[in-house]
Amino acid sequence: MIQLFNVTKSYDSSAPALKDITLKVSRGEFLFITGPSGAGKSTLLKIMFGSESPTEGQIIIEGRNYFKIPPREIPRLRRRIGFVFQEFKLLPHRSVYDNVALALRVMGVDPVEEKKRVVKMLMYLKILHRANFKTESLSGGEQQRVAIARALVKAPAIILADEPTGNLDPELSLETMELFKEVSGKGTTVVVATHDKGLIDRYGKRIVHLEAGRMA
Amino acid sequence: MIRGAAANARYFFSEAFRSIRENLATTVFTSITLGLTLAIFTLFLFVFINIDKSVTAQGDKVHILVYIRDAALSSGEKTFRGDALGVRGVKDAAFVSKEKALGILRQAMKGHEAALEGIDAGVLPASIEIRVADAYLEPAMFMTVVEGLKRLSWAEDVQWGREWLKKFSALLRFIEIGALFIGVFLAASTIFIITNTIRLAVYARQSDIEVMRLIGASRAFIILPFFIEGAIFGAAGGALSLGMLELARGVLAANVPAYFSFMLDMPLTPAAVAAILVFTGVFMGALGSFISTERFLKS
Repeated sequence: MIQLFNVTKSYDSSAPALKDITLKVSRGEFLFITGPSGAGKSTLLKIMFGSESPTEGQIIIEGRNYFKIPPREIPRLRRRIGFVFQEFKLLPHRSVYDNVALALRVMGVDPVEEKKRVVKMLMYLKILHRANFKTESLSGGEQQRVAIARALVKAPAIILADEPTGNLDPELSLETMELFKEVSGKGTTVVVATHDKGLIDRYGKRIVHLEAGRMA
Repeated sequence: MIRGAAANARYFFSEAFRSIRENLATTVFTSITLGLTLAIFTLFLFVFINIDKSVTAQGDKVHILVYIRDAALSSGEKTFRGDALGVRGVKDAAFVSKEKALGILRQAMKGHEAALEGIDAGVLPASIEIRVADAYLEPAMFMTVVEGLKRLSWAEDVQWGREWLKKFSALLRFIEIGALFIGVFLAASTIFIITNTIRLAVYARQSDIEVMRLIGASRAFIILPFFIEGAIFGAAGGALSLGMLELARGVLAANVPAYFSFMLDMPLTPAAVAAILVFTGVFMGALGSFISTERFLKS
């Protein structure tokens, strides 16, 4: 479960990126965050992930107040969250397999189990044939699939996805959303930031609409 | 769990070697820098140890003469030596009989024997020649030995080279303070150069580190490959420094006057020097990597 109380984020003296956001996302819920570019969708996801701190307000993730978690426990919490970054954040000189496997290696997963899970995920996202390629040699759509695979392979409690289908063709976009829906059905909380109205309408899930940093 | 740990160890090493391969120029530069600073530091240590050894050897010339009362001579040589050795700080005590003292005097006045005509051994006092332990060569400590000897019942007079002692201890202190300054400066420069060189390598991979943090990698998981990498080029630097050291010793030995060549002697066996250099290289490389990565992660 994710809870935000009166969260505000300002970067400088100009208008805040987020203003007074109070939001609750239940366990297993599938939530869309939508709004135009610059509305604060990415900032909100980063605050939920803990890679950005709010200027004001409180965040409870998995029952813990983010500000009371000792720094050395942050990595443990992040292993329970799969984040699909808009800019992918892959290791460019490493292979597709290594990028996905790294999410399991940091958790100390057994190598046999690691291989089984990585191969299954790459197969599901139709990128297995590129397993040994360095990610820098892949197209935008392929890199996005690797980023999604890396977020999902660790079977996280929460998935935060920032424009996860932005570089995918319509067919693959639907397949990816189906995958998110499937894991949500198994109890994983999924929060997807997108401005793809077609996708939002198709799934009929709860929507949080942001306008200039405020919940509309 | 064990298989996971073994796989992680394999990952850390493969990451370290991969990084070395991909940043070969940086690795070679860092190893050479490390080797060079280690070689300079070691050469300095050799010179310091050899000068210190040579100066300490001069300390043996600082001796005390305890003249024995004629009336006490019947007690015998063993008693005098035993009593003297019982004084704290006395390393050695040698009995000089009246006859031996005359012999020494004759030897010293060779060519002027006429001045000694008519003098017999009875005129000169017997004495005990004292050598002081190294730890007691410092003037204040030295005087405690002198005072102890003065208290011996058979001691008539105690003499020692006061001026020589002063000069000797001043020289020793000068060398030690100089060595401390140069040593600290060289050690600090070595660590500074290494940490900065490694920091460049760490900064070159900051996006990789950021990704690792975002996917939940622990500090240890991020630092260990850098740590291993540092240890590897530290070992290479240590081995390189050995070659540079030998080269420097060869060049210097051919260019310094023969009476200074003792300063370039190896105070330990070559194998021990090699082991110490490689170990120091590994230690400094690993420490430099650790410091740089830690600083980066804290920033």
